[in-house]
Amino acid sequence: MASRFWTQGGSDSEEEESDYDEEVETTVGESASQAVTSRYLQDNASDSDDSDGQKRVVRSAKDKRFEEMASTVDQMKNAMKINDWVSLQESFDKINKQLEKVMRVTESEKAPNLYIKALVMLEDFLAQALANKDAKKKMSSSNAKALNSMKQKLKKNNKQYEEMINKCRENPESEEEKEEEESEEEYESDDEIIEPEQLRRREAKSDSEASQYEDEKADDGEGPWDQKLSKKDRLLDRQFMKDPSEITWDTVNKKFKEVVAARGRKGTGRFEQVEQLTFLTKVAKTPAQKLEILFSVVSAQFDVNPGLNGHMPINVWKKCVQNMLIILDILVHYPNIVVDDSVEPDENESQKGLEYNGPIRVWGNLVAFLERIDVEYFKSLQCIDPHTRDYVVRLKDEPMFLVLAQNVQEYLERVGNFKAASKVALRRVELIYYKPQEVYDAMRKLSELTEDGDNGGEASEESKGFEESRIPTAFVVTPEVVARKPTFPENSRVLMDVLVSLIYKYGDERTKARAMLCDIYHHALLDEFPIARDLLLMSHLQDSVQHLDISTQILFNRAMSQLGLCAFRVGLISEAHGCLSELYSGGRVKELLAQGVSQSRYHEKTPEQERLERRRQMPYHMHINLELLEAVHLVSAMLLEVPNMAANVHDAKRKVISKTFRRLLEVSDKQTFTGPPDNVRDHVMAATRVLCKGDFQKAFDTIVSLDVWRFVKNRDTVLEMLKDKIKEEALRTYLFTFSSSYESLSLDQLTKFFDLSVSRTHSIVSRMMINEELHASWDQPTGCIVFQDVEHSRLQALAFQLTEKLSILAESNERATEARVGGGGLDLPPRRRDGQDYAAAAAAGSGAASSGGRWQDLSHSQSRQSSGRAGYGGGRSMVLGQAAGSGYSRGRGTGSGYRSARHQDASYGGSGRIAQGGSALRGPQSDVSTRMVSLKGVRS
Amino acid sequence: MAEYDLTPGMAPNLDRHLVFPLLEFLQERQLYDDDLILKAKIDLLNNTNMVDYAMDIHKSLYHTEDVPADMVERRAEVVARLKSLEEGAAPLVAFLQNAAAVQELRADKQYNLQMLNDRYQIGPAQIEALYQYAKFQFECGNYSGAADYLYQYRALCTNSERSLSALWGKLAAEILMQNWDIALEELNRLKEIIDSKSFSSPLNQVQSRIWLMHWSLFIFFNHDNGRTQIIDLFNQDKYLNAIQTSAPHLLRYLATAFIVNKRRRPQFKDFIKVIQQEQHSYKDPITEFLACVYVNYDFDGAQKKMRECEEVILNDPFLGKRVEESNFSTVPLRDEFLENARLFIFETYCRIHQRIDMGVLAEKLNLNYEEAERWIVNLIRSSKLDAKIDSQTGTVIMEPNHPNVYEQLIDHTKALNGRTYKLVSQLLEHAQAQVAR
Repeated sequence: MASRFWTQGGSDSEEEESDYDEEVETTVGESASQAVTSRYLQDNASDSDDSDGQKRVVRSAKDKRFEEMASTVDQMKNAMKINDWVSLQESFDKINKQLEKVMRVTESEKAPNLYIKALVMLEDFLAQALANKDAKKKMSSSNAKALNSMKQKLKKNNKQYEEMINKCRENPESEEEKEEEESEEEYESDDEIIEPEQLRRREAKSDSEASQYEDEKADDGEGPWDQKLSKKDRLLDRQFMKDPSEITWDTVNKKFKEVVAARGRKGTGRFEQVEQLTFLTKVAKTPAQKLEILFSVVSAQFDVNPGLNGHMPINVWKKCVQNMLIILDILVHYPNIVVDDSVEPDENESQKGLEYNGPIRVWGNLVAFLERIDVEYFKSLQCIDPHTRDYVVRLKDEPMFLVLAQNVQEYLERVGNFKAASKVALRRVELIYYKPQEVYDAMRKLSELTEDGDNGGEASEESKGFEESRIPTAFVVTPEVVARKPTFPENSRVLMDVLVSLIYKYGDERTKARAMLCDIYHHALLDEFPIARDLLLMSHLQDSVQHLDISTQILFNRAMSQLGLCAFRVGLISEAHGCLSELYSGGRVKELLAQGVSQSRYHEKTPEQERLERRRQMPYHMHINLELLEAVHLVSAMLLEVPNMAANVHDAKRKVISKTFRRLLEVSDKQTFTGPPDNVRDHVMAATRVLCKGDFQKAFDTIVSLDVWRFVKNRDTVLEMLKDKIKEEALRTYLFTFSSSYESLSLDQLTKFFDLSVSRTHSIVSRMMINEELHASWDQPTGCIVFQDVEHSRLQALAFQLTEKLSILAESNERATEARVGGGGLDLPPRRRDGQDYAAAAAAGSGAASSGGRWQDLSHSQSRQSSGRAGYGGGRSMVLGQAAGSGYSRGRGTGSGYRSARHQDASYGGSGRIAQGGSALRGPQSDVSTRMVSLKGVRS
Repeated sequence: MAEYDLTPGMAPNLDRHLVFPLLEFLQERQLYDDDLILKAKIDLLNNTNMVDYAMDIHKSLYHTEDVPADMVERRAEVVARLKSLEEGAAPLVAFLQNAAAVQELRADKQYNLQMLNDRYQIGPAQIEALYQYAKFQFECGNYSGAADYLYQYRALCTNSERSLSALWGKLAAEILMQNWDIALEELNRLKEIIDSKSFSSPLNQVQSRIWLMHWSLFIFFNHDNGRTQIIDLFNQDKYLNAIQTSAPHLLRYLATAFIVNKRRRPQFKDFIKVIQQEQHSYKDPITEFLACVYVNYDFDGAQKKMRECEEVILNDPFLGKRVEESNFSTVPLRDEFLENARLFIFETYCRIHQRIDMGVLAEKLNLNYEEAERWIVNLIRSSKLDAKIDSQTGTVIMEPNHPNVYEQLIDHTKALNGRTYKLVSQLLEHAQAQVAR
């Protein structure tokens, strides 16, 4: 049939010609590749370098190539005359190489006559030489060898040109047409490289083959369209359009297989493939087939964007979502179709039509597709400039995805695949968790408003598309069973609860961890600090998060910072500081939250790292306001540190709550001139300076003048709370600083000073007395605070420090001896434990003001890290002092590490953390090193 | 005062039968409408087999003599089922009632089963029937019978799950019969099992603990030694966690126990933190009282809360237990609570004051002036308080108690001497040993 087609007549080749003109370049490549393969077949020694070099040849060299070939033929003739097989063999190779070039420049598919003639000549000569056995015997060994190899090569080579050669023998001029056909068939059998044009041809050809099946029932009338078919797919498509009744499952399946087989090959037009497949969905015969093809459409759509960095074009994305919805329509409509990716289904599974009742298995993975769609959406938001309109428009597509996810989840739940459903639920959670109620409401309204319009538009568009292609309806009509509109509950919390509880029930570890973090984030967003905190503590995520993947770690950081903001809003200053201090300890907040790439002077990043980091970035609309975060962190650090510094004037280094804050304060103190505050940091520093003097009003004004507060929910109450806290801390600072200057102080005066209510002042002062921060007592009848002169003088305080250092020295001595002697007689461990107990008791005593048991667990594990760092700091300073790494100096280093850790514990008021202090004592360095590694894990 | 009633929160964690005493108490206190309580009772009884009782309540609720048909039907059904169960368990019951035969049982369970099977033809089916029969008896309200049968069943049962539920049943039966000593034993046994058994999910274990704590309230507030034991049980980490996560209302009982307890406990500080932390999920006057005294140092508030506490205690079925003495009844716990709460306030108050006006103090303690003076004098005499009364100005003056700086320093360094001495001697020993070698 095929050859019949090719021999049909001149019109045919004309068309061929015009086709070539259209796509000169592709054809060039194509013929080159063809030649390569033929050469490969000839001498089994393809050389990629050669083909590379040949690409440089341009069309103008056509004649030159022919000349070269002719000269080679002459050389061959000479060699034949002297019966020199060695040079003949060389010439043969040469001519084959030249053949490629010639073929390329002439842009023809058939070997030139010159070549064929040479072949004929060679063949004859070979036969003659073989026949002449005497001459063969006379030949030199190298010559005989060459003869033998020549014989084989020629045999192989000539097979390809057999027909042409025969023709040439019969009639040296008339073989053109057929040869073309021959060569074509040859390269079709070779699948190595397929150029677009060639591919189409393949399709066309096999399609005509396919139509051969039809021939059995249909008459031969399709000849004419068969021809056109070979030109372009459109024509093929038209074929389907023309005779809908004649299209069988086989036809479609065949075509489908072909298109799919071409996927991923070099030169396959990605858009075209999508188009072809989309067309096929319209002519699919059975729902299962349509489904099968739709799956391929979706994956082809994913292929449209090849790179990892770019995102899928938005219109393709939308179509992809639509396709997924249609898939769901089919699945819901025909419940007997099962989607599965574990088993390779039977070839003809999709042949089973409507009336088939048993389960039909179709290969596919809904969840993977859905996740990919989500990833693409996320990527597109990463790539689009957030300050453009595009970004907003893109954001409006979110409901579209949500409806899809919702439907997929519902479907999976109905099918009973809860594990997969939980994965889908996580995707939904991750789109919702960061939305405050207002944003959520806006989204809900938007989805209600626009979905109608969108749907209408989409439908009409589609029908237009149908008209264009002149197909009245698709064969398998799928009614829109699945909802096209998302249904959102009134409250985002309700939705979160539903989704999250599903995940907790069925999800795997990672899914659960992520869902938990989203849950925490969302609770924190709604100011439900206790719930969020309990969730965090009960999940023990802060212990295990370092073993999770980076994006989950980022999510954890986000949740922690949101928790910190939440704690601040509800007035839990120390908790807020606890949540945020770690984030700010490294100075890489941006990086930790994936909200921008921070430049570090000391770590040059490789491009690879940078790329990875860029891929992890959060889209703009999910960002946590960094200025606000910094303001909250510094203000809470200020509220904790200012009275703390006032309380420990004698050795300010001892009890440091926030190292970051101290460092900033030092820097700002060093400045000779302090200008008016400019950024968040300056504001807080300015406020700190006045607060140290007890001037709460000025401090508050300075803080309030920050304009980031407008990002805070219910700003007024928060600022009210802040003012209250500032007053309180100002009062405490004042008492710490000036208590030694007073003999007694009346309550009335204090309340007037600090604008606090009497009962509150009383309560604050009482707490300070109970905690023995303030050595004073009330004189109830007069309402005065009477100060007792028990404040240690400088000498006394130093003496206490000395004793403390002495005991540390003694302890390290003991440890050193223990190491030497072998720990026999010394009962060190119990004593050490005693010390820890003492520290614990002290901590518990001073910790009444701080939070309670379970919360300590949180700060416990947080400060395991922070105490590790503190230990490191201490250890380093000591080791600097005595560089020798002997056991003794290490002992000291660890001792001081221990001490600083302990003090930190005491200042936080944790009891459970002492054990951690102990572990820091044992190996601060190693602790730190793991810490650094984990941080590196976050950054790289 | 209905707002502080915990019954709705408690009931889901109790057995149906255990809720009855609570409802009875509420009825007595007149906190709710009588009809409401009667209805609640009928609802409760609907799923038990105490049909006769339900009928009585129905009659008194609707003031009729008619009984709904379904109740009558249910009665017939219950009786029939009782008969059939009785028959099923008859051989074993007969055996157990035969004192001579019971003598033959030994400690070895396997042997017993074998013996029963061989000589009395009592197989697993009969033993199972005994369990069902006991359960039915319990549901009918025959607690003593149920307790006996369950005890016997436990001796014969090999299935640990069954054994556990039999133990729960036994505990409930003993509580309802008010055999506090036996109930306490059962409680401890159950606790051990719960703590040691590996549960399918941690959630189940927590749930079991919650149940155990709820049930134990009956025992602890009736047993003589209960108030210390409640702290021992509830304040264990595992149980405290369970309270914090699932049943914060139990904090009331723990708080009360802490206050009432004579001895101050080291865990008290931690408990205060727990209360402070759980304020968002649960608070009532009793926990608020503690928060006022130990967190906010708000003594006026504490005093106010103290008065509310009284009400709460009177209306709580466990705390407000009455003791009838001759012809007037008292609530012993209330008196103890108030006394101790007063002490709490005073103690903290004294710690931060140098001079206190007696009048103010009396007011804060909810006492009149004379009483207050007598009370303080008693405290001073029993050397619980280091203070003096200035009767001219009517004030109490605290003795300042500040350790001398030098003493402190000496304390700090005292140990060092000994340690160093020991160190040196050890070094010497070591050195000598090396020389000798």
